[in-house]
Amino acid sequence: MSTSILPIAGAREVWTELRRASHGHRLMIAAAIGLGLLSAGLGLLFPALLGALVDLIDDDAADLGTVVTITVAAVGATIAGAIGTAVTIVLAARAYQSILADLRERLVARAMGLPQGVVERAGTGDLLARAGDDVAQIADAAPRVVPALTSAGFTIVVTLGGMTALDWRYGAALAVTLPVYFLTLRWYLATAPPVYQAERSAMGVRAQHILESLRGRDTVLGFGLGERRHHTVIGASWAVVGHSLRARTVQNMFFGRLNFAEYLGMAGILTAGYLLISAGHSTIGAATTAMLFFLRLFGPINQLLMVVDVLQSALASLGRIVGVIAMPGPGRGDVSGPGAAGRAGQARQISGVADVVVRLRGVTFAYDGEHVLHGVDLSIGAGERLAIVGASGAGKTTLARVLAGIYVPATGSVQRPRNTAMITQESHVFAGTLRENLTLAAPQSSDGDIWTALEATGAAGLLELLPDGLDTALGAAGVELTSAQAQQLALARIMLVDPEMVIMDEATAEAGSSDAGVLDRAAQRVLDGRTGLVIAHRLSQAAACDRIVVMEQGRIAETGTHAELLAADGVYGRLWRASRSGSPAGTGT
Amino acid sequence: MRWSISTGSRMRHLRTSIRKQRRGDPAGLGRGWLTRWLPVFGRPPRQAPAAAPLAAGEATTARRFTLRVIVAAPQLTIPAALLSTVHQVGEALVPVVMGLAIDRGLASGDMRQAGFWLLVLGLNFLMLSLGFRFAALLSTRAVQLTQHRLRSMLSAAVLHTRHRAVRQADGAVLSTTTSDVSGLSLAVTIGVFPVGGLVGIGFIAATLFAIYWPLGVAVAIGAPFAVVAMGALSSPFARSRHRSQTLLAAAVGQATDMVAGYRVIKGVGAEQEATARYRRSSRTALAGAHSSIGALGRYLAGSNAVSGAFVAIMAGLAGWFAVDGRISVGELIAVVGLAQVLLPPLNMLTSETVTWWATAVASGGRILDLLAEPNRSAPPSGPDAHDATLSALPPVEVQLDGDEQIRVEPGELVGVHADDRVAARIVAALLDPAAGEGRVFLDGVPAGRLDEDIYRSQVRVAPHEAVLFSGTIAENLDIPGAPPGLRQAALKAAACDDFATVALGGGDRQVGQNGEQLSGGQRQRVALARALATDAPVLVLHDPTTAVDAVTETAIAGGLREIRNGRSTLLIASSPALLGRCDRVVDLRRATAGVS
Repeated sequence: MSTSILPIAGAREVWTELRRASHGHRLMIAAAIGLGLLSAGLGLLFPALLGALVDLIDDDAADLGTVVTITVAAVGATIAGAIGTAVTIVLAARAYQSILADLRERLVARAMGLPQGVVERAGTGDLLARAGDDVAQIADAAPRVVPALTSAGFTIVVTLGGMTALDWRYGAALAVTLPVYFLTLRWYLATAPPVYQAERSAMGVRAQHILESLRGRDTVLGFGLGERRHHTVIGASWAVVGHSLRARTVQNMFFGRLNFAEYLGMAGILTAGYLLISAGHSTIGAATTAMLFFLRLFGPINQLLMVVDVLQSALASLGRIVGVIAMPGPGRGDVSGPGAAGRAGQARQISGVADVVVRLRGVTFAYDGEHVLHGVDLSIGAGERLAIVGASGAGKTTLARVLAGIYVPATGSVQRPRNTAMITQESHVFAGTLRENLTLAAPQSSDGDIWTALEATGAAGLLELLPDGLDTALGAAGVELTSAQAQQLALARIMLVDPEMVIMDEATAEAGSSDAGVLDRAAQRVLDGRTGLVIAHRLSQAAACDRIVVMEQGRIAETGTHAELLAADGVYGRLWRASRSGSPAGTGT
Repeated sequence: MRWSISTGSRMRHLRTSIRKQRRGDPAGLGRGWLTRWLPVFGRPPRQAPAAAPLAAGEATTARRFTLRVIVAAPQLTIPAALLSTVHQVGEALVPVVMGLAIDRGLASGDMRQAGFWLLVLGLNFLMLSLGFRFAALLSTRAVQLTQHRLRSMLSAAVLHTRHRAVRQADGAVLSTTTSDVSGLSLAVTIGVFPVGGLVGIGFIAATLFAIYWPLGVAVAIGAPFAVVAMGALSSPFARSRHRSQTLLAAAVGQATDMVAGYRVIKGVGAEQEATARYRRSSRTALAGAHSSIGALGRYLAGSNAVSGAFVAIMAGLAGWFAVDGRISVGELIAVVGLAQVLLPPLNMLTSETVTWWATAVASGGRILDLLAEPNRSAPPSGPDAHDATLSALPPVEVQLDGDEQIRVEPGELVGVHADDRVAARIVAALLDPAAGEGRVFLDGVPAGRLDEDIYRSQVRVAPHEAVLFSGTIAENLDIPGAPPGLRQAALKAAACDDFATVALGGGDRQVGQNGEQLSGGQRQRVALARALATDAPVLVLHDPTTAVDAVTETAIAGGLREIRNGRSTLLIASSPALLGRCDRVVDLRRATAGVS
């Protein structure tokens, strides 16, 4: 709803966080580096031995015994090198897996501890993308990037070293490839990421159109939209074809340049070998070794270059993850929001007047510069049920959120009970069992407590639909609940939390006709014995409350009991009569 | 939010491509002055070509379907296979040419020979590079065209109006139309790269035979051994990787699930417990990843040791022959090089091709399942389809169990007050009268026997769930047959003025994915405006204002009546404000039996 997003960490912050996360794994990382270099060195033995064999044959100095010795040494070195490389990769992978697990857990912990207002302003979508897409992105990238950086990187470094040790002029001949590799990489990094990004977003659009068409199947049918939706899906599908072919072309150009560099390197070594051998500075065996060294580099160089763009986007994801972890504010596990029980915050407990538990004084609130609340004064007594009625945009939800502590008012003061729970029409069924869903906020609840809560909210009947009772899996992978059932669950959850005060923001709005009655009754049970603020969208809900506040354009227009407001014949009175009789109503909007 | 970010990046992307266009790089491939003049191959036409469906009848098995996919685009895959062959032969020639260059050029010190082999090497690189690139381009094109064909088939099958009883969950259907289509289309490449790989292996073996026949025999015996050993090592790793990926996906899924329920968690103060639960599943995923990486380590150690030992032993063998003078030094180098390039295609041929095939057959099975969902379109345009006899504003009748019925006379606004189950069945019957859910009559004619297009042009049904499609409000209001002039009035009647007025961008406002840029109440009002904008002769509304506050609902009740004046409307609702404005209310709350 707003443009501000959560922070993104810079390179320093990411580095600091990585150092911290890798703290317990330093020894493992050091061992991986040492073993990696050693294995890469072992890998050089085979080409070196083969070069020696070539020279011996060339000098007619070789016999079968030499060949056997060399072969045995080569086989041994190869096997040892293979095992060493594998262990290197395992050590490096165990280290990065632990570090990633640590980061993702800290991300979720931090996200849960952030002030709700901050997340709301950035939009939960941003946080969702970081906890989901960014974590998955790094998890996908690491198995490609880490071996490339360790085993391939070590092989390149060691082989180039070996090449220079063999004869520095072979190393110098290879330098002709550097500009090609450099330019290729520069071009690839500038070109490929947007091309891949465009391909991915085209796929996202395609999936979205398909999913929307499926979800809205009844709408598609009811409005005769089948043909049109089909064309939309087909159009999105065809757009992906173009993007995928473009991505393929970019990869092809990349491989073409790599092939060119490979040829240049081989030609350089052959030319250098020709010149050095002619001048008597080198042997055929040395040229063979140099050539085999270079052939060994093809794979690792390609492996390394091909992950650079993956590494780049993984680092971007890392920046977004660390950005959340490093956010300042209350410490880990510390929370702020309506449900934060027992926390010190802007909500002081009211002392003195025992009866009044909620008091708002001169509260104003502006959203993106637009004033939504204008000096609202409101108090609610202990155990009182207060309904708020008003048109869309009158400021009802904003008032509820200010009261819940999600929004901090621009001016004025808010006092409310410490133990407050809030429930909105936006229900969410968590993937997990029914029991897990209910005990989320009250982990100590016994099965008996759960049954009592379910019966009180009229949701016990719901259980008949669930094959495994409390152990039935719910959510995307299990039984899908209707929005009314999900809301019954949410109400039962509140019962288990047993808060002092409950804020209900159109909590029963998503129900159909007859479900509405069931949900309204459940909501009444949840409110029993608690202080309640109910944002009512049906007037029958308001009438059931002790007192009613009518809001208009960010101000309180009327307040009183149902009977008082009817007698006063104001906005509420007109609405009530209109809703009963269906006669024209002069609405205040 | 998501929308604005993606729009931003789209804009940036657009700007970059415009800049590149100015610099003379219309393909947007970042090409500099050196390569800009080269043609760009493989760009698809702007308009999708007509996608002929692949044959998939009731007797089609998944294997047969996969085979059909492999040969679905022969005009692309046959040239691609030839080019892949060129590439593989070129790869095999690199060590041979290298050996010849060292032997004939370097050893002899003959500059002409050295230059000649350098040139040959260059030409070989050009050949193998172009061979691979065009093979890859053609096969990507074939894969993409096949994907498009399959998706067209699935989309038509799922969205076809008479095919609405798709029993699978939306997520499963989506996964079939995306990942399974990709999985099955992968089969196309079976006709390309393995073919080239096979020819390349044959070429290498033949070259070794030509150099010295015992080497060829050694390879023919040793290579299969090496490949079988590597394959045996890879399968436990593949299994454990799959397990670990599943665990990781579960952990990531749980994180997104919790963030999606962020408000709920905050609302009840469940932050600590949510964090603790996430940590548990993250640790399970970590343990799985650790064990999977152990399996990867064993696989890597084993397969690299086997392949390295194979090459070293071949080198030793060739070294022996070279010592004996049966082959030259150059041939020795060539044999080592050939042994090295032999294993990758062999491995591809045995393990990757098998995986591709297995994936394709599994995906193909799921696609066939979806295509074969009950296609119960008994041809409605049979001899008794009364398509020309309807009046302009036909009366509607819904026959209920017992002797009850709902009848809407031309121009009437009839309210129906029913419990949820009965209401849902009435709506289902009107949505799809041919499904046998109930008996709907239009002008006295059974609606199930009418031509579907005729029925839909007369009766529009707005289901309770307010589903909007991504796009603008105006695009959502654009329904086939709806007069564009009615949109403003419809928005007003549905009380959308507060967020859809001209000052706020009006109908051009984006609704976002699943309409998430709008609140629940706003979504419901736009959905109502869409229904009112159809100007349908008969409109069925089901609980259109449940997420709307009382004040707004009262305004809507008046607007609805006004805009539907002169048209027939069936309003299923329980709200007194709405029912109070109807001409007549049918109270079915005591009706125990629903529509048969």
